[in-house]
Amino acid sequence: MSGIIEVENLSYGYTPTSTILKDISFEVKPGTFLAIAGPNGVGKSTLLNLMCRTLTPKSNTIRIDAVPIESYSTRALASKVAVVRQEFVPVFGFSVMEVVLMARTPYYGTMGFENEADRRIANEALEATDTVGFASRPLASLSGGERQRVLIARALAQDSPVLLLDEPTNFLDLRHQVGIYDLLKAAQLEKGKTIVVITHDINLANQYCDEVLLLSTDRKFHIGKTQDVFSPEQIKKVFGVEVFAGEVGREKFFIPLGKLAKDSRQISK
Amino acid sequence: MTQLLTPKKLIVRTGLALAVLVVVMFACSLIGTEDVSLKAVFGGAGSQTVANPDYEIFVKVRLPRIILAALVGAALASSGVVFQALLRNPLADPYILGISSGAGLGAIIAVISGLNWTLWGRSPIAVFAFVGALGTVWLVWFIGRLTGKFHLAGLLLAGVVVNAFFSAIIMFLTSIVKAQQVYATIFWLMGNMTEEDFLTLWVGAGCVAGGILALFYISPQLNALSFGADDARSMGINTARVRTIAFAIAAGITAIAVSLSGLIGFVGLIVPHAVRLVFGPDHRQLLPLSGIVGAIFLVVADTLARIIIAPAQLPVGVVTAIVGGPFFLILLVKYSRKVSWLK
Repeated sequence: MSGIIEVENLSYGYTPTSTILKDISFEVKPGTFLAIAGPNGVGKSTLLNLMCRTLTPKSNTIRIDAVPIESYSTRALASKVAVVRQEFVPVFGFSVMEVVLMARTPYYGTMGFENEADRRIANEALEATDTVGFASRPLASLSGGERQRVLIARALAQDSPVLLLDEPTNFLDLRHQVGIYDLLKAAQLEKGKTIVVITHDINLANQYCDEVLLLSTDRKFHIGKTQDVFSPEQIKKVFGVEVFAGEVGREKFFIPLGKLAKDSRQISK
Repeated sequence: MTQLLTPKKLIVRTGLALAVLVVVMFACSLIGTEDVSLKAVFGGAGSQTVANPDYEIFVKVRLPRIILAALVGAALASSGVVFQALLRNPLADPYILGISSGAGLGAIIAVISGLNWTLWGRSPIAVFAFVGALGTVWLVWFIGRLTGKFHLAGLLLAGVVVNAFFSAIIMFLTSIVKAQQVYATIFWLMGNMTEEDFLTLWVGAGCVAGGILALFYISPQLNALSFGADDARSMGINTARVRTIAFAIAAGITAIAVSLSGLIGFVGLIVPHAVRLVFGPDHRQLLPLSGIVGAIFLVVADTLARIIIAPAQLPVGVVTAIVGGPFFLILLVKYSRKVSWLK
């Protein structure tokens, strides 16, 4: 195999008797933009937490860069995989620049300070995420969209080939949703990052991601090119919702059809 | 652009703060019920037969007490910083995980048992308080771990409950012992500075300074830990090691402080906040500056405790709360506008 992330026969349960992920295998080639989708509670976040070792997988079921994830030191793993999580609780008033520089902590010198290279990497991350303008503001004073970009900047500043994100566009307005995906796409195209993003937005995933891993409640999974995996039939099967599929140019889009939605009957005709 | 902390800034600020500390310690040594002439102090100890009273008061009475206040203040303030960082809780202080009630229980047991020995020059109260403090922190840590891998809420709750439980035992014991013993215990619980011998002071100061230095060494990791353990770990930080080291050192220097001076409240809570309000949350700076400011604060508070109702003395814990409270509120109002997490 040649994936930068290889998952082989991965199963996981939070208690010895429960199973949330069952026998999952897939690989992510370097430079791929992968979406993980599926209904609530199928284990998307669990899978992401296993891929960054916040949860411990069984030995040799996940390999990063051909090395089993359990063999990495904390610091070595951070140089391969960076994570942007959903929940975020700031306690003390760190500024944006301080937050982004924190990603360089493992590389600080003996005095505990960043060097020129660390500052350059942090500045590049701020530029890539268009957050230079509020570098000196406290993170907690930013809006949700701005804050999410800063957390992505922090992840970029880890300078790792793999970036994992758990629903990065949650609670964001349309402009910021698109903004986040644009900057992730830019990181993929310009820096060759491998990006794995958990999302509920089928249309954004469809537009931006190369591949999608679709988890379903029956513990089955599908992985493949986005256009192959996302079909009205598949979406109905996994999410239990009728969707209308349309096309604009070569791009597909999906509209969910709720029973009482205004135009659902006209569209579905 | 933010003024990021640089090594140069850190050294200059720490150096200035240390200079202020030395000046304050020196000035406070001259203040008291007896006027001490500096000129006379430099005259030396005097002859065998005629002691130099100024020298005696300055070197043997005031200086040891001021050094003690400085080292206790530094220990409490810097471990307050660490507990706030590790528990990610602005209400945390060095006593939050049960150190105070554990030390108090140790102290009252020592008083009741009427022991009459010394260990390396330390009284049974000090020894029992030290052991009680560390034992309780260990117990809380142990219980906290039972609630999950490292569950902050579980750890805090364990601390609160153990504190309440031991406080109840302290109340129970104080209600059944002799009045004289109650007085000794309460006096100790209020926090007090006494004149210690220089050996004790140097050993204590060495431990506290060494502890703060070691904590400074892991202060960048404490910054990252503000985002929680999962985030810090994915940034490449060995959170288990950092937390264990930080907890052990913070608990250790607090136990030293408590065994030397009883329970002095407030320093470990408000000094870290005051320094954070003025200088920002970066632990590389917050930790050393809080230590020094804590030392200055307690030296001044203890000097006030000596002179306010002279010739009698107030417990210094009373002064820290009475002086520290309003002062902190002024800072809070003045700076809170620029500190967003307070909003």
